[in-house]
Amino acid sequence: MADLIRMLGFTSRALEAQRFGLDVVGQNIANVNTPGYTRRVVDLAAVPPVEPLSAGGGVEVQGVRSLRDLLIDRRLWQEHPEEQRGSAMADALAGVEAALGPAGSSIDGALDSFFDAFAALADAPTSSTARQEVILQGQSLAASFRDMSSHFESAIRETDLGVRGAVDEVNRLTARVASLNAALSGVDPATGESLQVHDELAVAIEELSGLVQVNAVQRTDGGFDIEINGGALVVGDRAYALGVSDRGVTGVADVTLGDVTITSALRTGTLGGLIETRDVLVPGYRAQLDEIAASVVREVNAVHRQGFDANGAAGGDFFVPLAGTAGAASSIAVEAGFSAAGGTALVAASKTGAAGDNGNARALADLRDALVVDGNTATFTQAWGNLVYAVGRDSAAAQGIRDTHGEIVRQIRNLQDSVSGISLDEEAADMLRFQRAYEANARFFRAIDDTIDILMRTFDA
Amino acid sequence: MRVTFGSSYRNGLADITRTAEELARRQREVSSLQRMQVPSDDPSAMAAAIGERSEMRVYDQYLRATDSVDSRLDVIDSALSDMLRNLTAAQSTVAASQASFLTQAQREAYALQLGGIRDAILSDLNIKYRDTYMFSGTAADQAPYERNAAGVVQAYAGDHQQMAIDVARTSSVEVTIDGSVIAQGSDPDDLFKVFDDLITAVRAGDSTGIAAGMAGLDRAFERTTNAQSRVGNALRTIEDHKARLGDMRRASDAHRSTLEDANLAEAISGMQRADAAHQAAISAVAATSRLSLFDYLT
Repeated sequence: MADLIRMLGFTSRALEAQRFGLDVVGQNIANVNTPGYTRRVVDLAAVPPVEPLSAGGGVEVQGVRSLRDLLIDRRLWQEHPEEQRGSAMADALAGVEAALGPAGSSIDGALDSFFDAFAALADAPTSSTARQEVILQGQSLAASFRDMSSHFESAIRETDLGVRGAVDEVNRLTARVASLNAALSGVDPATGESLQVHDELAVAIEELSGLVQVNAVQRTDGGFDIEINGGALVVGDRAYALGVSDRGVTGVADVTLGDVTITSALRTGTLGGLIETRDVLVPGYRAQLDEIAASVVREVNAVHRQGFDANGAAGGDFFVPLAGTAGAASSIAVEAGFSAAGGTALVAASKTGAAGDNGNARALADLRDALVVDGNTATFTQAWGNLVYAVGRDSAAAQGIRDTHGEIVRQIRNLQDSVSGISLDEEAADMLRFQRAYEANARFFRAIDDTIDILMRTFDA
Repeated sequence: MRVTFGSSYRNGLADITRTAEELARRQREVSSLQRMQVPSDDPSAMAAAIGERSEMRVYDQYLRATDSVDSRLDVIDSALSDMLRNLTAAQSTVAASQASFLTQAQREAYALQLGGIRDAILSDLNIKYRDTYMFSGTAADQAPYERNAAGVVQAYAGDHQQMAIDVARTSSVEVTIDGSVIAQGSDPDDLFKVFDDLITAVRAGDSTGIAAGMAGLDRAFERTTNAQSRVGNALRTIEDHKARLGDMRRASDAHRSTLEDANLAEAISGMQRADAAHQAAISAVAATSRLSLFDYLT
């Protein structure tokens, strides 16, 4: 009789175990689309027998664990930054590419129109219409340079906003990691709550790794300390925020950790990609554009000064002289005197002072083919082509990095899923397994109960 | 390796996204007939296309310049032809005035005729085109020969330079002429002085003076012929030059087209392939998403 009562006991525990298994299956199915959720499995163990002639004590629930491979997680945290770096750069450079304009209609078109106007003046050096056209095309060329410089400046500002936003996001995530570390220290590691915190930690660190490459060191309590370039971002439940300070004249954001500026050390992740675009790539394009503009001003002025205008006076500067190459594209302008009354006569088409001499206009038109840019190796148009090539090359490279590392990340996620992901078919099978086991244990419980009932009636009778 | 719910949809979605992007790219290529939309599509081709477009603008400019040269030389040629006709008429008139039996009235008539021819040659040399005197050298706003108040033609007032127009990177054509080379050359007096002296000699019946004037006309005829020969040479060369420029421009445009323009047949074929791949990716995801053990559990 006592054995029957004991059997009722372990059957009851078995029902509880199978119900617990169904509960875990239900959690897995419910969280099939939850980001970062790792598959839970229930650990069941047979209870050893307490008597020599007993088959055993039934089953007990040892606990619930999540299926996670930290090695795969770390691999993902290593590859994710490069994918995001490429993505950030590709997105930022897409705007720069669009600003360049189609071939023949941008700076190159303006240069051609400018030198065409000088050639037309050489054809008709006494024509005031041809002189006016030279001035108009010069002003149009200058406006094109200023517009393009403005586009590059806008790209730098927009990217800078992205950097500031990314820093805020890093700080939000490090604060989250710190709070999750704190939560871990207060929960029983054997409980489901602990597993949920681990899942959320992994999600936060993965997001963080996309923004900037970090080194995540696991603590004994399962939490993570986060380091970046040897500096601590998270230690236990304490987060150390990244700071932003405006850099010098430019006003762009420098990233600081404590008192140390770490901007140049951030080379991967979204932050690294944005910083590289903002501080290296776009300023490089702007410098190339400035070089072209400065060369136009220098060479056109030099030839224009050698000629004579329609009044027979020596030609002056056509463009306002520049102090240097930096900022040339943003400040290039035709001398104001050409727009004033009688200004068309100031265009110096003649080399000798004679009204019908067009030698200087021809020399100005010939500047189209002069190798005066890029260390005297390129014409103005070739230099523009080199700039367009540089933007296209960098954008294509960024897309390549994004796509290549994106594929690697996808494969790692597949690997991660193969360990931690939910298969609905598996859960369906498990649900059936636990359901059938529950049914069987319930029937066994009924059978034992009926047996006890028979015995009780036997003794009553 | 376990295939999970998440990985199935992630991979399927990645394939759908990839094929959709390819389809969109091919559609843009077909609708725009452009192989490159942005520099990153083909950076080196884009840079080369910029160069070819600029080169085509250069050829267009040289073609315009060549047309302008053609027109100017036609004007000069026409003026020189008229001069030759006038000089021929003057030579005939002078020859007729050498007859010993002429009356004074007849001599006066010949003198008036020579005066008219001289004025016609003055108009020829003072011809303007596009507001520029063609025979003043580079003194474009100065008539080469002008009369004073007494009606006497003054000395050459232009300069001895010539305006040239570039018709190619390494060649140019002179489109104005130093009028003094035609009207005077190495003679001590210009053609108008020769005419004035000739008119006086014809009126006076001065055979020595008439002979000297005739020699002056002969030399002027030779100078004019030489000038016209040079202009004619330039005109003939211009036609060949124009054809060459046209060929070079077409070659440049053809190269630009290979760089920029989409091959329509290839683009349409690519778009059809991309469309098929996209549909296949969507169908594959739809098919796998229907399979679930849950559908078979009762």
